[in-house]
Amino acid sequence: MSYIPIGPIHPGLKEPLRLKLKTEGENVVDAEVDLGYFYRGAEQLAKGKPWQKVAYLTERVCGICSNAHPITLIEGLEKIAEFVPSTRIQFLRVIMAELNRIHSHLLANSIYFLAIEHETLGIYLLNTREKILDLLEMISGNRILYSWNIVGGVRMDIKESHLKKILKNLDEVESEVFRNRKMFKTGPFLGLRSRDIGKMSKEDAIGARAVGPVARGSGVKFDWRMKHSTYIDYFDFEPIYRNEGDNYARIMNRFDEILQSINIIRMAIDELPNGPIREECEIPPGTIDYRYEAPRGELAYIFETAQYGIIRNITIRTPTIMNLEACVKHMFKDSPTIADAIAIYQTIDPCIACTERVIVLNEKGEKTEFKGLQNVVKKYGTSPKTGMTSQGNNK
Amino acid sequence: MLKDFIRKRSIHICLVCTGGCNGCDIEVAALLSQRYDLEQYGIFLHNNPRECDALLVTGTVAKQWQEKLVEFYDKVPEPKAVVAIGACALSGGIFQQEGDKVSAPVSDIIPVDAEVPGCPPRPAEIASAVLKYVPPALASYRRKS
Repeated sequence: MSYIPIGPIHPGLKEPLRLKLKTEGENVVDAEVDLGYFYRGAEQLAKGKPWQKVAYLTERVCGICSNAHPITLIEGLEKIAEFVPSTRIQFLRVIMAELNRIHSHLLANSIYFLAIEHETLGIYLLNTREKILDLLEMISGNRILYSWNIVGGVRMDIKESHLKKILKNLDEVESEVFRNRKMFKTGPFLGLRSRDIGKMSKEDAIGARAVGPVARGSGVKFDWRMKHSTYIDYFDFEPIYRNEGDNYARIMNRFDEILQSINIIRMAIDELPNGPIREECEIPPGTIDYRYEAPRGELAYIFETAQYGIIRNITIRTPTIMNLEACVKHMFKDSPTIADAIAIYQTIDPCIACTERVIVLNEKGEKTEFKGLQNVVKKYGTSPKTGMTSQGNNK
Repeated sequence: MLKDFIRKRSIHICLVCTGGCNGCDIEVAALLSQRYDLEQYGIFLHNNPRECDALLVTGTVAKQWQEKLVEFYDKVPEPKAVVAIGACALSGGIFQQEGDKVSAPVSDIIPVDAEVPGCPPRPAEIASAVLKYVPPALASYRRKS
């Protein structure tokens, strides 16, 4: 029995995190995770600020799902205001969200292939991703952080000439993804490294509350897009899922979701209606628990607003925290070697920048107050003291 | 002498994220793609501090990193250079507000040779900063006696 520490900076990891593997020979028996290298206190900074500032801040919770975070906040605010945006706005948001999903999934798969030392596929996928980043830059003006969603609409319109470029690039991306998917499906050595490694059963996935492609790779048929009004009304959306539950299933599920997203964008462009891209919307006081399907899974925003759209209290729960637990509890136990443990860790598409929401310091005897989910008032006004902090509260 | 001469043409870099939004890190990852092809310029990206010539530091320095970043810098063999990337590493960016928990900029903690502004900077800017400023910084590095 020995311990192998990995991280915080390690050639196998892309983001700082400490993994402590308890091993018997080459088999991983147990693992510990040490977080805290990314804490910035975004939730504390958001308190008492108007939504215009909070939207910028939520975008910088994670640079990869930088469309999912602001759109969750903004659709939540619109739900509080009981405002329904025009069909064109809904369609534009779907196009942007799916482009962002394609870019995130391509990056996740590419990093997995780099982790199992298959550089050819890794670099091919990174190159495919550049085409999607070009489209995102063309629409919003920036490659990574878009600042494109606002309450009541979107900031910039997608023009006719843009649509042609989008369709052209999507055709190229589709053919490349088909080719790479076939390479992954039929490659014998890729199969050896991926099939039957890091298995997680459906019961374990539900027990560990796994979300997103990790849960769908284990046979859980759920996607928050099934419950999103735009997807219900205009796109007949069916989640993709697989029953194997191993590395192969999770990576393959992402490839299939990329192809599905491409089809959704094509449908949206075909039926793109005319209309305004921004409408008036005033935000009353209220609370909401709003969830949205980020590229990595369920993203929950629970917040409380005061008048004029000031955020009183906000709690963000990101998908990786649940997937990390599923990985450490269930997947590592099925890892034949330590090299496979790193590969398994990369299949859950970890985003540590997302995960670091809460830090509780106890070592120096400092007073710790955990202001988390339980402090958000369920019904606005019933117990005003609970959600309050001394700092940053605008009355 | 010869080693210093060769090192200017083959720079090994190590990426350290000290808390930010990941945007700068994925822009460094994008440098590996065929469009930018970092290795053609003689730059090799690997995350091993004990073998690298230049550190790329991104992000606001989070509480855990305040002491560790200095230790980490000491592990890099001499001569060494540091490039700070992104608004967070230069000034704290959006996280430098009243009641923040960060201790940016990076230059307060370790010596910085080049700074690349932007939120996030484009991959080409990162590559050109490494190519332009790291070789002179390595040449003029004063060894600790």
